[in-house]
Amino acid sequence: MTDTAITAYKDPKMPPPVDLPEGPEWVGVLKVFDAHAAETLVTAAHTLYPHQTLPERVYRRTVFAFDALAAKLPAVAQGFAEFVDLVDGAMPVPFRDLSESYRVNTLKAIEATPAFRLVQRSTVRFLYDDLEVWQAFGYEGAAVQLGGYINRGFNDLDWLPEPPPGI
Amino acid sequence: MMTQYELDDSGVVVIVGSGAGGGTLAHELTKRGIKVVLLEAGKHLTPDDFVNDEWGGYEMLSWLDKRTASGTWRAAKDHPLSPSWSCQVVGGTTSHWSACCYRFIEDEFRAKTLYGELPGTSLIDWPFTVADIEPYYELAEAKMGVTRTNGLPGLPANNNFKVMYAGAKALGLNVSTGRHAINSIPYDGRPATIQDGFTITGDKTGSRWSTLNVEIPRALATGKLELRPQSRVTFIEHDDAGKASAVVYVDAAGVTHRQKARAVVVAGNCVESSRLLLHSKSARFPDGLANGWGHVGRHYLRHIIQTVWSIFDKPVHMHRGEIMAGMIDDFVRHDPARGFAAGYYIEMNSMGLPTTAAFLEPGWWGRDFVSVIEQYRNMAGIFMSGEDMPQPGNRITLTDELDAFGVPVANIHYDDHPNDLKLRSHGYKTLSAIHAAAGAKRSIEAPSYPASHNLGSNRMAAKAEDGVLDANGRAWEVPNLFIADGSTFSTGGACNPTLTIVALAIRQADFMAKQMAAGEL
Ligand SMILES: Cc1cc2nc3c(=O)[nH]c(=O)nc-3n(C[C@H](O)[C@H](O)[C@H](O)COP(=O)(O)OP(=O)(O)OC[C@H]3O[C@@H](n4cnc5c(N)ncnc54)[C@H](O)[C@@H]3O)c2cc1C
Repeated sequence: MTDTAITAYKDPKMPPPVDLPEGPEWVGVLKVFDAHAAETLVTAAHTLYPHQTLPERVYRRTVFAFDALAAKLPAVAQGFAEFVDLVDGAMPVPFRDLSESYRVNTLKAIEATPAFRLVQRSTVRFLYDDLEVWQAFGYEGAAVQLGGYINRGFNDLDWLPEPPPGI
Repeated sequence: MMTQYELDDSGVVVIVGSGAGGGTLAHELTKRGIKVVLLEAGKHLTPDDFVNDEWGGYEMLSWLDKRTASGTWRAAKDHPLSPSWSCQVVGGTTSHWSACCYRFIEDEFRAKTLYGELPGTSLIDWPFTVADIEPYYELAEAKMGVTRTNGLPGLPANNNFKVMYAGAKALGLNVSTGRHAINSIPYDGRPATIQDGFTITGDKTGSRWSTLNVEIPRALATGKLELRPQSRVTFIEHDDAGKASAVVYVDAAGVTHRQKARAVVVAGNCVESSRLLLHSKSARFPDGLANGWGHVGRHYLRHIIQTVWSIFDKPVHMHRGEIMAGMIDDFVRHDPARGFAAGYYIEMNSMGLPTTAAFLEPGWWGRDFVSVIEQYRNMAGIFMSGEDMPQPGNRITLTDELDAFGVPVANIHYDDHPNDLKLRSHGYKTLSAIHAAAGAKRSIEAPSYPASHNLGSNRMAAKAEDGVLDANGRAWEVPNLFIADGSTFSTGGACNPTLTIVALAIRQADFMAKQMAAGEL
């Protein structure tokens, strides 16, 4: 799903969106996570925020951002590793192979742990900071390079009464 | 070439922090011919450095050093290591703020008298009246270019405002786009807003007032100011007579310096100001500088701030345009009939997708969250700022953990007072009712984000036993030590605090200049 009424922009000074390989080999670009950890975290991000219209690649980019953070901060790397162990240890089947209700219940059971908190907060931090997600949900992002919204719809809402001038 | 002062020049006024309070005071003192060294922990950025990116801007501007939190407030659960929100950059949080500019009303200067005895509170009246501050409000509004003052038009209605307007009108409330230190037309050499919606990540065009783009350049132009960015003050020293004599700071290279001073002004944004005083212990002040009465760090306030986000049938695109350009003032006055003391302003709020997702309800996940955030384009935001009650136990203290500069990490303790909870609940109901009246399908009562209005923790009081400072923001116990930030507030009032911080800084400059001319400072 894309919102064709808008175009989302990243500020030109921000790093450009990462382009990950489409196949399972995408995990090759990661610095810290092995394939199992990476796929488990992708599954977790998807279980936490199951947007049916978003492609798998946005969740992979989210985990790519986790990996970059883990490469910088050993304590964070350890938190992600703990998370993978926690969710894998909950059932006789690895987390990433569980059905949705079992995955949801597994996450609910560990909500109070620091590892869960790290993964949940980091998913919000990076998933909704993704240009493709902005485009899908109608957020246009950077505006100054286009002259702001003064001539691009800052007051174009037309389904409510127009407030009087000078209100 | 910037003026430079020697480290052992004991004729300079040293100001710690270049935000609303410190940056304004630096300009007001230098304008009066007084020599000032302005020490600022953050970097000196330019508009070119800023980005139109919520997280990019947050990471560039914010005070990210660790703090801890305790008490019943949601920040202790949701943001335990960053319970308070401010900036570390030249310009302080005025490089980030959304520039709502309202005055305290007369009643708010006599909170104790008006609200009466409320168990658990430590209410006092301000040590002056509205008449004392009014002339300074006028000067502040003129320098900041506040809309709807000095002939400046209000900001135009944007999409999010149209929603607020429709709901407010249906309920018979008094609604306007409000007052802001954001240019609706060119003013004071700065352009009109282009409505990019990114004042909070630095404001690349300069249509919004900040100390970075107005006060500090003008202070530098007087030739009386030396600005030292990336200078972290770690200690304030005093002499045998008990007067502040020097500040110790660490520069960008990690080198420690000692700047002598004629007077010291602390303006580090409340938490940092109390932290610095508490840490500046000596034989004479064993509990911290100016803390003989034990008030430093206490009576901490952060306003009743919360947002309701609602989903409508059709697109709003709330991110387009100035983010807080809407105001309703029907609930500002204290009205005992409501069942609680004090009042609140209703304002507008909008955020981009990244921070809406983060602040909607931290910790919320699953299909319900997803169904809400997917409708971002149809979302509107409405916000309130109300008065919280001072309590002696709501306070900033030092923990055992040291930061990279050897200064103990601060803990902020805050328990909600029953009056706060009543006001909160009343506010949520009003905010949701306004959106419902405009046709909202669903409203989400989002909890407070980290404290953005940090006040009261070094308060002014008519008597030394009631507060840290006298009516001029001068420490009762240290005659040449001043505070110039929101921590001086005797009580919080309902409105966003910065206009009052700026007015008080101008007033303080007048006082200091007079004292100096009289040979008393
Ligand atoms: C999201 C957000 C929106 C806001 N919107 C509004 C609004 O619409 N209206 C309003 O009135 N207010 C608003 N505010 C609040 C406003 O920003 C503050 O009230 C105001 O900036 C406080 O001024 P200050 O001088 O106390 O501190 P600041 O402006 O924060 O400046 C303090 C400075 O001191 C420096 N400092 C601290 N400690 C040290 C040290 N030890 N050594 C050297 N330097 C130090 C800091 O780096 C900082 O630059 C908002 C705040 C936030 C976070």
